Amino acid sequence: MAITVTIRTNSTGITEPEFKTLEPILKIENVWKLYHAGKVEVPALRGVNFEVLPGESVAVMGPSGCGKSSLLYVIGGLAKASRGKVLVDGNDLVAMNDAERTKLRRHKIGFVFQRFNLLPALSAKGNIAIAQYIHGDGFDPHRFDVVTKMLGLDGRLEHRPSEMSGGEQQRVAIARAIINEPKILLADEPTGNLDTKNSEIVLEMLRRLNKDLGQTIVMITHNPEATTYFDRVVHMRDGVIVDGVPAD
Amino acid sequence: MMGQFVFRNLFHRPVRTLIGVVAIAFEVMLVIVIVGLTSGMLQETAKRIEGIGADVMVQSPGAQMFMVMGSAPMPIKIGEKIRELRYVQYVSPALLQFNTSGGVETIWGIDQVSFRDVSNGFVFYEGRDLQDPDDMLVDDWQARAKHVKLGDTYSLLNHSWKVVGIVEHGKAGRIFVPITSLQELVGGRDKATIFLVRCTRPEHTPDVIAEIKDLLPNYPVRPVKEFMTLMTSTNIPALHTFINSMIALAVSIGLLVIFLSMYTTVLERTRDIGVLKSLGASKFLIIRALLAEATLLSLLGILAGVCLSYVVRAGSQKLFPTLSILITPEWIIRAALIAIIGALVGASYPAWQASRKDAVEALSYD
Repeated sequence: MAITVTIRTNSTGITEPEFKTLEPILKIENVWKLYHAGKVEVPALRGVNFEVLPGESVAVMGPSGCGKSSLLYVIGGLAKASRGKVLVDGNDLVAMNDAERTKLRRHKIGFVFQRFNLLPALSAKGNIAIAQYIHGDGFDPHRFDVVTKMLGLDGRLEHRPSEMSGGEQQRVAIARAIINEPKILLADEPTGNLDTKNSEIVLEMLRRLNKDLGQTIVMITHNPEATTYFDRVVHMRDGVIVDGVPAD
Repeated sequence: MMGQFVFRNLFHRPVRTLIGVVAIAFEVMLVIVIVGLTSGMLQETAKRIEGIGADVMVQSPGAQMFMVMGSAPMPIKIGEKIRELRYVQYVSPALLQFNTSGGVETIWGIDQVSFRDVSNGFVFYEGRDLQDPDDMLVDDWQARAKHVKLGDTYSLLNHSWKVVGIVEHGKAGRIFVPITSLQELVGGRDKATIFLVRCTRPEHTPDVIAEIKDLLPNYPVRPVKEFMTLMTSTNIPALHTFINSMIALAVSIGLLVIFLSMYTTVLERTRDIGVLKSLGASKFLIIRALLAEATLLSLLGILAGVCLSYVVRAGSQKLFPTLSILITPEWIIRAALIAIIGALVGASYPAWQASRKDAVEALSYD
């Protein structure tokens, strides 16, 4: 839990602080994730504790195989934690069945992947619109225009992924992830397949989403420079979070 | 959006889609053409039987209604007994011989005098009636199909016949020879396959049928006017089974092709399925998308299959003018339904598999 302080001027013209408690949008308590290799249980997460406040941007760093991606998939409800609690906007994903997690993911989570993962048969517009379709509210042209303009995609909407650069594809993927205004945007190495210039563009867009629109973001990265765009950095090793420090 | 998604997915792999469409088109075409061929042959035979102008037809016990397939001869003397019955004006015996060497055809051995009485005779385009033992008449369709001219020699049943007349089609068979000559050739002396009966007045037909049934209790006696309605595949058990077997074969091919096509689609789109799941797509939505794709594929196949059926019919009419393929709207609809159901059944297992894929594994699939 965090406390926010807002300075307000009351009706008599006197300024006074207003204290408000802020519940975390994401709260992970003692989460374990075990994979089975034959009869052997391989722990990917070993009692992770982690909180993210609304509007916060957090970068998760760590060596390969430390459980970063598993953590992201557990947070996003793509994988179910073996033990512990994963509270997304107050909903415990561990207690939910697959259909309930799918529904929660549809309404509260947006994903951005390292390999863009656009649907190759659809145009950029189709890739974004299908997220709106799955969300269930149908195509919202206003929201669509706002998002695509913000991400600089106006002129590329009729192009297919194969006709776009990596940077453009990743911007389409970001547009797809945020088109339904998710509570949390989860990004798995979003700059892993991009050159420096496009990486900076994508990171800057994520920062703007966070700062301008208050989008909560959790990003996994190997790139220490990428963490400078985020409020907080947490480090993982061997399936546990070893520290969490504010970014420079 | 779902329509666009399905449509784009279908055309993202045009070769695979084309193969699927062609397979379904063949399935539909096979159903339409096989049924059309049997119905066409039956209807055409029935029309020609009706075209004789007789009122009643008598067959031997155990004879098939679809007479071209078997002779089942009776003693020719039965005709004399029938002739003595009330309201019977003329009786004409005919011996039918099915021949498969050099084509599929039924040879009609007729007694030219009594046949003329019953049928009011042939309309001759060329030549004359049967007179000599080796004489043969062919109808105009047969003449065109076999490139036969007046005066030609026509070999059938290891015998050389002389074409002495070309007659208008639509009466009994396509090839006529003297009944006595055919009896000798097939070892059926004094035998007949059918008796064609003409009543003194058409309204006496029921009375004549009743009298013949009294005289010949186990013999099938049918009014010729009802022959057309009776000549359906459902009234011919062996043919019905044959048609069903062919349909089952065609459906199996279509089903397997769709299954294979959708199975490879699901494998190839494993990552896409993971993406849809990450966007919050339900299992139902994934199943629906794949079944919609199979349905669209089958609709394209049905369209192509119906067109192909008409092409096959046109080709068949050119190459084999005596073969008639009857394409009916009823069977087009049936073939379409069979193809759609087959496609849905074939796609359901791959679709179910897709819906159950683990999202994380699917997203890391290469």
